[in-house]
Parts: sequence; C-alpha cells; structure tokens
Amino acid sequence: MADPIALALREQFHSAEQQRETSTVGMWIFLITEVMLFGGLFTAFSVYRMSHPAAFDQGSADMEFWMGAVNTAVLICSSFCMAMAVHSAEKGKNGRLAFFLILTILIGLVFLGIKFTEYYLHYHDQKLPGIVFHDTSPDAAYVQMFFVFYFLMTGLHAFHMIIGEGILGAMLFRTLLGSFSERYHTPVELAGLYWHFVDTVWVFLFAIFYIPGAHMK
Amino acid sequence: MSQSTVSVKTYAFTLIGLLALTLLTSLLALVDLGNFSFIAGVAIAAVKASLIACFFMHALYEMKLIRVIMAGGMIWFLIMISLTLGDYLTRGWMPYPGK
Repeated sequence: MADPIALALREQFHSAEQQRETSTVGMWIFLITEVMLFGGLFTAFSVYRMSHPAAFDQGSADMEFWMGAVNTAVLICSSFCMAMAVHSAEKGKNGRLAFFLILTILIGLVFLGIKFTEYYLHYHDQKLPGIVFHDTSPDAAYVQMFFVFYFLMTGLHAFHMIIGEGILGAMLFRTLLGSFSERYHTPVELAGLYWHFVDTVWVFLFAIFYIPGAHMK
Repeated sequence: MSQSTVSVKTYAFTLIGLLALTLLTSLLALVDLGNFSFIAGVAIAAVKASLIACFFMHALYEMKLIRVIMAGGMIWFLIMISLTLGDYLTRGWMPYPGK
C-alpha cells in the first residue's frame, strides 16, 4: 500500500510539517470567524438582557434547566471522546480511532435528541415566538424576544452540531479506508478542533440561557 | 514545530475539571444571586472554555502563531462587546434625552 503521507502531501508544500501547520492555522482562522458570528449574537443578547433584565430572567425560568445541565455534561463527554480519538490517531491506532469517533458521533446524537426534545416541550408550552407564543405577563414582548434569541442561537449551534456529525462521519469513513496513520492524520485533528469549538459555544449558551432564571422555578 | 502528544491523564483531568465546573454552575444556579448569577455563570463558562481550548484543542502545545490568532480573535470580540455595551450601559447617565 502506498504511504498515506506521500499521497497526502500537496505539491505547493515544502514538507508534511509545513502542510500540517498551514492547515491548522487555516482552521483556527475559520474558528475565529465563527467566534465573530456567535459573538455578534452574544453582544445583541447582552444589550437586550441589560435593557429588560426581568423579562429575560422570566424567559430563562421557562428553560428546562436540568435538560440543559445534562446536555452540557453530555457534550463535554463527547469532546473528551474526540480528544481521545485525536490521541489514538497520533499514536497510529486506527481501531481505537474508529471506536472513539463512533462514540463521539453517538454522544453528539444524544445531545441533539435532548435538544430537540426541549424544543418540543417549548412548542408544547406555547413558547415558539412568531408561531405559537402565549404569555400574559406585562413583559410578554420581551419574554418573546428572549425566546427569539434562544431559538436562533441554540438552533445555529444545533446546525453546527449536525454539520459536525457529518464531518465526523466522513472522518470515520476515511479511517475505515485506512487513510490515516501516525504520520498523517491532520483532518482528524482539524475535525477535533471544530467539535471542541462547538462544545465551547454550548458552554456559553448554557450559561446565558439556563442559569439566570433557574432559581425562580 | 514538533507535535507533542497530550497524555490521556491530562485529558482525563480536563474532563473531570469540566464536569466539576458544570456541577458547580448548576448548583450555583439554584441559589438566587440576583444579577450576579448571570456574571458568575459567564465567568465559570469562560474558565471551562479556556480548559477546552488549552487541553482539548492543544492551544498550550501549538505553535505561537496559533496563540496570536486566538488573542487577535479575542481582542476583536472584546472591542465589539465593550464598545457596544459602553454605549448602551451609559445611556441615561446625562440629564438630556438621548444622551
């Protein structure tokens, strides 16, 4: 079988090491653009939260707090599995790499399952802004605004998770084809960076949406 | 730059640290801390994010250029949020409408 690293080295690069560094820098720059994308939404959320703190606390009290907390732990575990997958790839253990990729994908699916169950419960509680929203409090308009942010930001995050699942699936496929070795596994590393980044975003989403109103229940 | 492999032990400690912080946040959330609960939640989230970036994402072990890129991103984000909040937070400080 041909050496995977010889197949993977593109002609514009001087060495495999330079190619890896270039890819890693490119991935980090992409992740920074993602920070800006979510950062704009976080900024907008902060402005609205400060203008209408009571309404936003009330909206936060309507969250399924424990589902959010469990989901945070679930996603952290999936990130750990991803880190273990990258570790296995570095050691050239392709069997273990495939195992941890499958585990990461499955735990990611558990996260999405819990998330969509929450969405269903909000729909059931008539907390779907613009479609069915029922709230009789005087601050109802801004409670609805809270839910607009909630669905937009967690929805964008869930969309990233779904893309991540696809990327991990592709990594698993390539692992099974034998494309990776101790010397060449950059795609697994970069997929890992993306997955950990999506985890980081959720950590902040949990903090801003679930925590402020949790004691009011 | 040579790649240094992070040990399984480091990953395990990071996992335990992250889960402990999640438990701490969840317990803090059940106490009424007023506006402080939002600040405490975001602060703990920032600690968790740094743990993920440093160990899971290998930021501590990568080349310096990666750290420059991260710092650059953070600085631009802080400019965005601090200038925006600096505007909204200080509205109404002056006794003139709209100032």
